[in-house]
Amino acid sequence: MADQARHAIELQILRYRPAQDDEPYFVSYKVDYTDEMSVLEALQSIKDDQDGSLSFRWSCRMAVCGSCGMMIEGEPKLACSTFLRDLAPGPVRIAPLENFPIERDLVVTVADFVKKIESIYPFIMPKEKKPVEAGEYLQTPAQMAAYEPFSDCINCMLCYAACPQFGANPDFIGPGAMALLQRYNGDSRDTGSRERLDLIHGEDGVWSCTAVGLCSEACPKLVDPANAVNQNKTNSAFDFFLRALRKEHRP
Amino acid sequence: MSERKPYIRRQDRLWWASRRYRAYTLRELSGVGVAVYGGVILAGLYSVRRGPDAYAAFVEWLSTPFAMALHLVLLAAMLLHGITWFQTLPKTMPRLIVGGEAVPQKTITNAALGMAMLCTLAVVIGALS
Amino acid sequence: MDHFDTDILILGAGGAGLRAAIAAAEAAPDLRVALVSKVYPMRSHTVAAEGGSAGVVQAHDTLDDHFNDTVSGGDWLCEQDVVDYFVSHCTREMIQLEHWGCPWSRKPDGHVNVRAFGGMKIERTWFAADRSGFHILHTLFQTSTKYKSITRYDEYFCVDLLVENGRVQGAVLLCLATGEFCAVTARSVVLATGGAGRVFRQNTNGGIVTGDGMALAFRHGVPLRDMEFVQYHPTCMPGSGVLFTEGCRGEGAFLLNKDGYRYLQDYGLGPAEPQPRNKYMELGPRDRLSQAFWQEERKGRTVTTPQGEAVLLDLRHLGRKRIEERLPLICELARHFMGIDPVDTPIPVRPAVHYTMGGILVDIKTASPLPGLYAAGECSSIGIHGANRLGSNSLAELSVFGRVAGEQAAAFAKEAPAVETPALLDRARAAEDRALGLLTRKGGGERHSVLRKEMADSLEQGCGIYRLGDEMREACDKLADLKRRYDGITIEDKSRAWNTDWISALELGYQLDVAQAMTHSAIARKESRGAHQRLDGYTERDDANYLRHSLAHYREGASPEIAYSPVTITRSPPGQRAYGALGDQLERAKKEPAHG
Repeated sequence: MADQARHAIELQILRYRPAQDDEPYFVSYKVDYTDEMSVLEALQSIKDDQDGSLSFRWSCRMAVCGSCGMMIEGEPKLACSTFLRDLAPGPVRIAPLENFPIERDLVVTVADFVKKIESIYPFIMPKEKKPVEAGEYLQTPAQMAAYEPFSDCINCMLCYAACPQFGANPDFIGPGAMALLQRYNGDSRDTGSRERLDLIHGEDGVWSCTAVGLCSEACPKLVDPANAVNQNKTNSAFDFFLRALRKEHRP
Repeated sequence: MSERKPYIRRQDRLWWASRRYRAYTLRELSGVGVAVYGGVILAGLYSVRRGPDAYAAFVEWLSTPFAMALHLVLLAAMLLHGITWFQTLPKTMPRLIVGGEAVPQKTITNAALGMAMLCTLAVVIGALS
Repeated sequence: MDHFDTDILILGAGGAGLRAAIAAAEAAPDLRVALVSKVYPMRSHTVAAEGGSAGVVQAHDTLDDHFNDTVSGGDWLCEQDVVDYFVSHCTREMIQLEHWGCPWSRKPDGHVNVRAFGGMKIERTWFAADRSGFHILHTLFQTSTKYKSITRYDEYFCVDLLVENGRVQGAVLLCLATGEFCAVTARSVVLATGGAGRVFRQNTNGGIVTGDGMALAFRHGVPLRDMEFVQYHPTCMPGSGVLFTEGCRGEGAFLLNKDGYRYLQDYGLGPAEPQPRNKYMELGPRDRLSQAFWQEERKGRTVTTPQGEAVLLDLRHLGRKRIEERLPLICELARHFMGIDPVDTPIPVRPAVHYTMGGILVDIKTASPLPGLYAAGECSSIGIHGANRLGSNSLAELSVFGRVAGEQAAAFAKEAPAVETPALLDRARAAEDRALGLLTRKGGGERHSVLRKEMADSLEQGCGIYRLGDEMREACDKLADLKRRYDGITIEDKSRAWNTDWISALELGYQLDVAQAMTHSAIARKESRGAHQRLDGYTERDDANYLRHSLAHYREGASPEIAYSPVTITRSPPGQRAYGALGDQLERAKKEPAHG
């Protein structure tokens, strides 16, 4: 193996162990790194060689499983695809994903987010019932282009960390869940948008959103969740209007 | 009783003033500028209603240094508001598919901005002639 | 200890586990399904699969062709009756996924498109851009939320199975968030826990791929079959091992050595042509391509990078549009991780461990020899991959046999007698004590990270692309030593909530057992076949003695015992495994009638 230039960098990591700590606090670690090393690899080397008690989620190392989201220098990032060479000379502040409760160290509570994505009827309600034996539904590339980017969401929650309105209102359905909702509403094979309407109304629906737009900037997969949320404001308004009209006509 | 004890970090009350949200906050404030300018125009309209003397006083006020400075600030606010409005525009629409591919959001923004500038130009030329 | 009861327990919520859960819920809506995973389902390693999933669709393609490609790709170590079942159910499962919303890439007319893939004679790989596994996993996870009878237990780690009276009746789980244990009793159990590639140093796998289910079944007397067959994927990122899909080569990418030469033509895969030809050159099977790399490295014809030797994956001639549309993830990986734009620069790549062909012995109905225990997906050895897996057969396997496992587990649960709860809870408490014992052991011992690194280096050396008896023996000895030292490791962090130090140490225990099965099976197989290639005299395939599956049996406190079982041959007698022009020649000869 060719010799690699080694540099040293300091990482200041927010620690919190529920068993012994009342509050989180920063701890400083020094890591020797090479040019291709990611923040995740730095965390792993700290865990392996310096402090085995550091807890963080990770798996794929290639920005597709969505496990390793955290705040790196104040920005929500995936640790596996953030490189120390871009953060040098440091020190680098690392904290758990903002706007979420901390379970421990860099591990945040994910369950509420998962409940949100489960709540939006995240499955095809077929427009046309067809048995599997009859073959695939047809869908042209143009029809797929209408929803495909929304289907690229890896559920990493960086968008929630970037969203100050979610920070203010934890019950806000949020960008990620709305992207998934729109993924299905926009799919030519699906006919479930009426069922999904109830979820988009009110403060916990799309109306907490004030188009800050940082969710789409933070997204590592170019899903553009801001688009999903904001286009549904029209749908929500229309539905509200139509319901009011319908009520008027009822005797 | 397990060890589990999630820690909830309070959102910074001044989050909107931090560097990350500064651009957003300025954009929102520009809306205030638009409202203030609406107030100025309303004041002018009201002065017309009150009569030629009131209107003349209003026009005189417009040429005071304070009013000039105010209008410069409001112009900046209007421009910021307008440009960010058109940047947000494509976010409020479903994806536009033309020829099998999605139209880039920048294209929509630029087209809308272009149209806005044309309209502005038309109004200005019309007003001057 | 907490305890909950269910009817069907599924351990692992990746592609196979989710498909099994859906199948069980559909087959028996009145039964309760508990779907347990140590990570949230969308983090399962299915998510990283890129290239695609096989299913015969084209008019000029046949099930026979898929069968033959798979059996010869597996160097005739496949259970041919199982392969028959497999190929005849792939397409149906791919259509089912499409009905559930999977965004397969389409042709202009709206029909699903298929691409060429390594070792496949005719294009039959369904793909969703180059994120096929991601889309399949998310489709299955999202669809699974429809079924009210499925209850998920996210971030629960399994520390043991509960076996009583020769029947599996549940498992012992550790809740990661709290560090508390709970026992789950069930009438049937499905293992869908994935492969074990992390026992090697360089691999494409995520951190969670630690062979948990394999080790659990192994320790309870279920043999692990064909463990010596480990797939090296030829095109991975040097250093991290992250995968560059075979789909690149399906689209027409070349593999070049340092002289810019398409070296695969020197290894029986040629002749080289400008357009990709199925089963030729870069579309040869993975084991052959990885072996070619090894040979090129020996000859000094590879490119030296700071992360090691590599060859070049050249996509330039495909053009920007094709690359960005068909291979967006590859673009992102190359540009963002390596600072290389594949549109104008070839990507340095090298082989890394990718897939575990071997696994838990199961029959065609996914049933293991232990009553009530089923297994599907990479953790199982159902017999379709043999000595080398063809790309895109694994994603298809998840659906085809995930469904079978779910249905079979439901049928078993319906008929199963009541679980013996008091006895099971005793066993559960014992399992809890063992797991806690590792945590509470007094300090001063070795760190598990040290042992893990030694294990990974040892496997890399001893069970590489080419193997030597001496090096395999060293690996066996090293693992025995590591198992001994494992009993002395201590965990500094004594807390319970989210103690990943503790979890990693438990995973290492599983890995050591699985690694032993690998090395001992490898050294015992005195021939070269598929992904198991030796340079120490046993360089050829030996059908007379080794047309058999290896079976590793766990022995407490000793190395595994290796036995053998016959291979089911139905209609494809072992032939010469050839690709490129030679492969075509042999096929033509087969079709010609014998002359009198």
